[in-house]
Amino acid sequence: MTVDARTRRTSRTGRNVLDEIAARRRADVRSLAVSLTSLIGTAVDAIAATPPPRPVVERLAAPGLHLIAELKRRSPSAGAIATDGDDLVARARAYEAGGAAAISVLVEPHWFGGSIDDLRAVRAAVSVPVLAKEFVVDALQLPLLRAAGADVVLLLAALHRPKELGRLVEQALRIGLEPLVEAHDEREVRAAVATDARLIGLNNRDLRTLEVDTERAVRLRPLVPDDRLVVAESGVRDAATIAAWRAAGFDAALVGETLVRAPDPAAAARSFVAAGAHPGDLANRANEALVKICGIVDADGAGAAVRAGADAIGLNLVPGTPRALPAEEATALARLVREIAPADRRPRIVLVTVDRTTDDINALARAIGADAIQLSGDEPVSVLDGLVRPAWKALHLPAEGVAAPTATGAAAADEISARARAWLAAGAERILLDTAGGPHPGGTGVRAAVDLAAAVARDVPVVLAGGLTPATVGPALREIPAVGVDVASGVERLGPRKDGERPRKDPLRLALFAKRARAARTDRPNLAVRPAPIAPGLLEADARGRWGTAREFGGRYVPETLMAALEQLERAYADLRNDPRFWAELRTLLERYAGRPTPLYRADHLAELALAAARTLATAAGRPDVVPARLRLYLKREDLAHTGAHKINNALGQALLTRRLGKTRVIAETGAGQHGVATATACALLGLPCVVYMGAEDIERQQPNVLRMRALGAEVRSVTSGTATLKDAINDAMRDWVTNVETTHYVLGSAMGPHPYPTIVRDLQRRIGDEAAVQVQADEGRLPDLVLACVGGGSNAIGLLDRFIGEPSVRLAVAEAAGDGIATGRHAAALAGGSPGILHGARSLMLQDRDGQVLEAHSASAGLDYPGVGPQISALYAAGRLEIAAATDADAFAAMQDVTRAEGILPALETAHAFAVLPRFLAGFEGSGAPLPAETVVLVGLSGRGDKDLASFGRWRDAHPEAAE
Amino acid sequence: MTGAAAEPAVVDAPGGTNHTPGAGRIAAAFGRARAAGRAALIPYVVAGYPDAETSLAIALAAADAGADLLEVGLPYSDPLADGATLQRASAVALRAGATFDRSVELVGRIAAARPDLPIVPMAYANQVIGGGDGSEVAGRLAEAGAAGVIVADLTPDEGSPFEAVASAVGLAVVYLVAPTTPPERRALVAGRTGGFLYCVSLVGVTGARAALPRSVGRLVGEVTAVSPVPVAVGFGVSRPVHVRAIVEAGAGGVIVASALVDALGPDGRDIDAMAALVRDLAAATALP
Repeated sequence: MTVDARTRRTSRTGRNVLDEIAARRRADVRSLAVSLTSLIGTAVDAIAATPPPRPVVERLAAPGLHLIAELKRRSPSAGAIATDGDDLVARARAYEAGGAAAISVLVEPHWFGGSIDDLRAVRAAVSVPVLAKEFVVDALQLPLLRAAGADVVLLLAALHRPKELGRLVEQALRIGLEPLVEAHDEREVRAAVATDARLIGLNNRDLRTLEVDTERAVRLRPLVPDDRLVVAESGVRDAATIAAWRAAGFDAALVGETLVRAPDPAAAARSFVAAGAHPGDLANRANEALVKICGIVDADGAGAAVRAGADAIGLNLVPGTPRALPAEEATALARLVREIAPADRRPRIVLVTVDRTTDDINALARAIGADAIQLSGDEPVSVLDGLVRPAWKALHLPAEGVAAPTATGAAAADEISARARAWLAAGAERILLDTAGGPHPGGTGVRAAVDLAAAVARDVPVVLAGGLTPATVGPALREIPAVGVDVASGVERLGPRKDGERPRKDPLRLALFAKRARAARTDRPNLAVRPAPIAPGLLEADARGRWGTAREFGGRYVPETLMAALEQLERAYADLRNDPRFWAELRTLLERYAGRPTPLYRADHLAELALAAARTLATAAGRPDVVPARLRLYLKREDLAHTGAHKINNALGQALLTRRLGKTRVIAETGAGQHGVATATACALLGLPCVVYMGAEDIERQQPNVLRMRALGAEVRSVTSGTATLKDAINDAMRDWVTNVETTHYVLGSAMGPHPYPTIVRDLQRRIGDEAAVQVQADEGRLPDLVLACVGGGSNAIGLLDRFIGEPSVRLAVAEAAGDGIATGRHAAALAGGSPGILHGARSLMLQDRDGQVLEAHSASAGLDYPGVGPQISALYAAGRLEIAAATDADAFAAMQDVTRAEGILPALETAHAFAVLPRFLAGFEGSGAPLPAETVVLVGLSGRGDKDLASFGRWRDAHPEAAE
Repeated sequence: MTGAAAEPAVVDAPGGTNHTPGAGRIAAAFGRARAAGRAALIPYVVAGYPDAETSLAIALAAADAGADLLEVGLPYSDPLADGATLQRASAVALRAGATFDRSVELVGRIAAARPDLPIVPMAYANQVIGGGDGSEVAGRLAEAGAAGVIVADLTPDEGSPFEAVASAVGLAVVYLVAPTTPPERRALVAGRTGGFLYCVSLVGVTGARAALPRSVGRLVGEVTAVSPVPVAVGFGVSRPVHVRAIVEAGAGGVIVASALVDALGPDGRDIDAMAALVRDLAAATALP
């Protein structure tokens, strides 16, 4: 008995269920022991006849979360569960057919109605491993369970002293029974982790009181090192719980009641299995790190690396090192990898060399059939001349004596970055950054390595190497924006080696390493995952919401009444920003409900039109040669997202946020009506009452969207103050918020407003560019030369551009609304014609007079008819990172017509501004004026569809019959 | 935004503007009222409403009807803390040609006519700070004779640079607390305000209300308890009964804005009605 009487907890009825069951089980074992002594010979025979254990850990170490489906006849918490006692076997088969990775069988007879016969029957009926769900109080039970076929056994940390628990784990492992050690509080987790158990279970249910705390397992998860497999138990409502557990870093879910009650068990299991799958969507995949397994020495290791889906394997050819291979062995392993790997997932074979000559390396590469050469010595850059394979250059961080945050550390990072850039410039394909001491958080010396490695990785693309393990690779990848990881010793078998024996890979550690590396950034879209050699103030706001190279934009200028709400929002969002559960939930909604990822379409007809127009412009200016010879024009089709514009990305995210804030009412402003429609849609979906403020003038020109909002159940309030457009709608929404702040969340529609709104909206929209970058890369093998979006407040623009800010090869541009023409003063071009000021809670560029009175914006496009622009866009422009152009109303209507005729796509009038300025960029008339390359790739954000603009488009055509031809 | 978002609410060095000559003049006015057994009455007039000349007459009439301090609103195109009355007055004033120069001129003329009356202009951040640090506006207001300035959308979190330039010209920067301000933050805001602390009576925008929220008494008591300077209560205050309740709760002053603009009538010219309301309100300021 290990449960301390003082800490013993009891259920509401005053009983401690766990103690009762355990006491009864001890009595059972005592009587069993008496009868066993006479049966000992039979028992030994039974064990000998037991089929070998089915491996479970490698299966659970595969990507994603796996289902362990549980069978029980009844339980103390739920009473009788199974309706028909005889269907256990059929149900087990159904679970297996539904994709369960293992089946759990309740063996305890008195409370759960189970038996060892149930276990035996189920084990015989399925081919997946079987978990014996038993209250093990004595080691004697272990061989009996194994003899009945159990592959895994449950051990409750609550029932044993730590030492006793460790012994039980050892005994189980010795007879091939995989122990799953279950814990439900911090103390028990510590005891469980102290054992050799490879499976740790975290139970939401307190077995003493039977009460379920659905957050318990997730809370405890960080206490279990990542080199264990972690199983979440109890409290599954539906498949969404499974998805959340996957996001929180669990490898398996043990599901009982919820499955048992499902009328179609196979279908239910299948839906849970699907919910646990590792998400392979575009945006997530783009953030995954490359995995290189180095120092493979035998066929087992090669096979394990291929199975784990390694992107590269390293074969060591450095004489005198522990993993060195003779050339013949390396050749054989390279051939083996080619044979066993699937063609589309074959790891690249990298030969690790030190200080060899170019000729020597070429000879080896050809003989062995390598895909790349790793240079791990002190080679001169000139070694690359004449190399027949791509080169990966290893650079070493100073192992000792570098104090991180000091000037010395910064200088060391600069020095390594400079060397890396020199190698890359000379043609090296990749840089490996060897951090020697290990880049994982921990002791002080190691911390220095993390900061230094992060500083280098922010500057140049590096593959992180040195000291990584399955336990440390996740945190390292979250802290260091490396593009890949390289591991050798961290995935090798533990324990002593014989003299001269080469270190061999441990298949489980290897699989787990690959899994942890891939999952490290999944559903964490706001981590830095690649170099972005640019001022940090252009990428992220500081703690006070300031953007810019001098942090001169942004901030929080609001009436005191709103401060508490903004601080609450800031705190809540800080928690969610890197919470993969939130982003997984949102991603599922975006995929299943909103239609993401949106397609990328190459618009060849429109490209020809734009080129022709550019040539006309350039010829007239006497420099026809500046126009690119060829243009591949890609449209990111946000018009195909649900509700017809990018706005749904933000609205769904903030609606989920509203729920997390505990608020019960939503308000929003809208200009063109797209944000209003998106918010009304998200509110209809989540059952939130919604009020949309809209300028009276906009209500007039965007009638279809007004009708849609009303159909969705939103109340549209007409705003007649000021200019009766978007700016005044925001004023009135803020007044509403000031009045109802305790119950209401303000779903701001653009990447503007007081901190933290510009960050929230950008984060929710950045998916546009994240997807588009992968899509362009897939078609072109490179990033675009120019990325162009229309800009009003800036949500679609920053959503598209953000991914490319840190990419020096990509030019960023926006098209503003010039209304009647910037020279007329009747326009909405806050970048071209504005100055720094404070509008709607933040400092940014805006239209104002010398007294600071906000000027009326003018644009036929309601969505761009706004006198300001968000702080991040303002900062990018002020820093010279963003090029600008402007299109008049007439230009935009004409472009709307061109796009529609050329491609059969009716763009929103807002979007048409971007198309209108494209020929001028191609002719070098806009922005930097620098000519684009002869083969130019341009990405344009097609932010929304134009149905809402048909009435004003029709009026324009009527007024310009010549253009309609 | 970084992961470490949850910083202390009010940041930067202690500082504030309570040491400025402007704050001293404000404190003296509160002191004089107190010595006379009254809470201070602070009427609000919109500069340039309904036109420049009339607004001067309104200001002087309000001053003479019992003002201890005078708040002068600088009309703004986007007054998002204001309700319908002040939005309209602002828009009318702007249409009638109100500019910052003319507002400064108005402040100067009131100050010249009533030298003992501390004048506290109220404006929005873009009018005062905009893309700079606010030194020009602060300098000109101080030069015209203003004692302090209230910026409706400026909190101590963003206020440090402006406090510095205001201090340099002797101007007090008055901050606000609201019913939504958490208790620990109230003390911090009170520690940074200059002259007096503006206590917003209700959760909402400006505008006359038939009744104030019942919680206002407790709010005033709590805010007064943590404030080193007098607390004046505004937003929604429109009737003598409101004034009495606020004074009984311990406030050192009351601010009346929209109700006075309403009293001026639709054309903004009924100065007598406005002055009568000021007198009625002043009569309700007797300390318990």
